[in-house]
Amino acid sequence: MDRERQIKNKMITMQHVAKTFVTERKTTRIIDDISLEVKENELVALFGPGQCGKTTLLNVMAGLEKATSGEIIVNGEKVTRPGPDRGFVYQTLALFPWLTVMGNVCFGPRMRGISKKEREERARYYIDLVGLKGFEDSYPVQLSGGMKQRVGIARAYCNEPSVLFMDEPFGHLDAQTRYLMQDELMRIWEKEKRTIVFVTNNIEEAIYLADRVIVLTNCPTQVKKEYIIDLPRPRDYVDPGFLALREDISSVVDKTL
Amino acid sequence: MKVSISGAKEKTLRQMKAEEAAKNVLCALISIFVFCLVWHLGTRNGTKLGELLPGPVETLSYFFRGFAANIGTYTMVGHMIWSFMRVFIGYVIAMLIGIPLGVAMGWSKTANAIFRPIFEVIRPIPPIAWIPLSIVWFGIGEGSKYFIIFLGAFTAMTINAYAGVTSVDEVLVGAARMLGADEKQVFINVVMPSAVPSIFAGLQIALSSSWGVVLAAEMIRSSEGLGWIIISGQNTNNNVQLLAGIIAVGVVGFASVLLMREIERRLCSWTERGR
Ligand SMILES: Nc1ncnc2c1ncn2[C@@H]1O[C@H](COP(=O)(O)OP(=O)(O)OP(=O)(O)O)[C@@H](O)[C@H]1O
Ligand SMILES: [Mg+2]
Repeated sequence: MDRERQIKNKMITMQHVAKTFVTERKTTRIIDDISLEVKENELVALFGPGQCGKTTLLNVMAGLEKATSGEIIVNGEKVTRPGPDRGFVYQTLALFPWLTVMGNVCFGPRMRGISKKEREERARYYIDLVGLKGFEDSYPVQLSGGMKQRVGIARAYCNEPSVLFMDEPFGHLDAQTRYLMQDELMRIWEKEKRTIVFVTNNIEEAIYLADRVIVLTNCPTQVKKEYIIDLPRPRDYVDPGFLALREDISSVVDKTL
Repeated sequence: MKVSISGAKEKTLRQMKAEEAAKNVLCALISIFVFCLVWHLGTRNGTKLGELLPGPVETLSYFFRGFAANIGTYTMVGHMIWSFMRVFIGYVIAMLIGIPLGVAMGWSKTANAIFRPIFEVIRPIPPIAWIPLSIVWFGIGEGSKYFIIFLGAFTAMTINAYAGVTSVDEVLVGAARMLGADEKQVFINVVMPSAVPSIFAGLQIALSSSWGVVLAAEMIRSSEGLGWIIISGQNTNNNVQLLAGIIAVGVVGFASVLLMREIERRLCSWTERGR
């Protein structure tokens, strides 16, 4: 019941967004008219087949790419360019290799001119939250894949954005670590509730994590169908309700060639 | 949980590195010894080669005696310092101009459009081709030497600084912008650090070409420096002095490369090459 109250405000509104890439040789339409809304503290999974334009969609939502048409409003403000009120966790990690864990997590607050004492204190909190206490002075090359993405999550959190965009953050991990990180994300999110848009091409991951799963079509991508996932957390991969949803969603998703 | 896993790993890694270093030193000593042995046997009394080339004992003892006794006006160390200072000054001027130039060309399309044509014309000209002109401009003294060393060093520095800046990972730039960095902050905090390894590669290349150039300059016009030792050895038919000069060049060049690597290791501990 408490959640009902928490997620009533609109955090992201996207209206008729389309994206076409123009290169010398040709123009390719990647996103074909998508409208959607995300409420405050909601965790929405965008689930689509490989190469359907998920990264492009997320980049457009975050302001890393300009939409060809349509508009995106995050927390009441129109998105026109990258900015610290939106956090991003990358499919390719994108950590700064020359900075330590602390340096990476502190990066946002440092750019925004927050004092050293305050930003390190805050960074320490988030490093602790993602379970990396004791690794503050390690460089990214010294960490395992799962630990690197923990840094990515802490870095995004530490800037205290109103929305977090996560682009297949666990896509590069082995299955075991992936399950672990999903539980970790749930734990972190339960502790520090945020609005999260989570891109994945893994159907179980989408159902396991999200309040709502939005299924995307092949390129040029559109919204195919939406599913509200009201299974209680923590969820169980082999729970009948879970399996039924999985079956249902599988039947609507486009197959990649 | 308190016991740092990375700490334990580092220690074994360090041990392995130490073992490997010891092995490398041993191999180096053996190979130098074998080389000297072959040299010695090849040039021993009575051989044809022996008439043209002094043996290792003679050469090395001349080389080491040079540290105490003067060769010409200076001791061996004095000559090394002369050559080193020439390289150093030309090299530093090249750094001060070449690196900012390359960075500017990489960062700004306008700067690239302005400087690239001139640069592309100067780049393929071997620095030695400038020697006569530099003597006309700067006289036969030190100025002309600095000038051609500068020319020999700055092209590699510029090209590599340019490459470092242009090859910055766009995703990292995007990540920095997402975290709130403005243009200037992106440049200082993302573009420059990611260009550092490439800049160092340029500095290494420039260092070896500087040594080549200083020798050529000293052979043409000078009365001190390692190039002078070699050329005056030739002029006075003193092959021992000539060879000792060549060995000194090797020693000093090698030492400066080592110094450079150490600086790089300290500055880029986060790269593969740096660790
Ligand atoms: N800057 C660009 N210019 C031209 N085409 C692009 C550009 N960025 C992406 N594309 C194209 O858009 C399509 C979708 O790419 P995108 O990375 O968004 O898909 P994705 O669903 O995230 O893929 P993946 O499952 O591999 O993560 C690809 O075919 C890609 O070639
Ligand atoms: Mg993608």
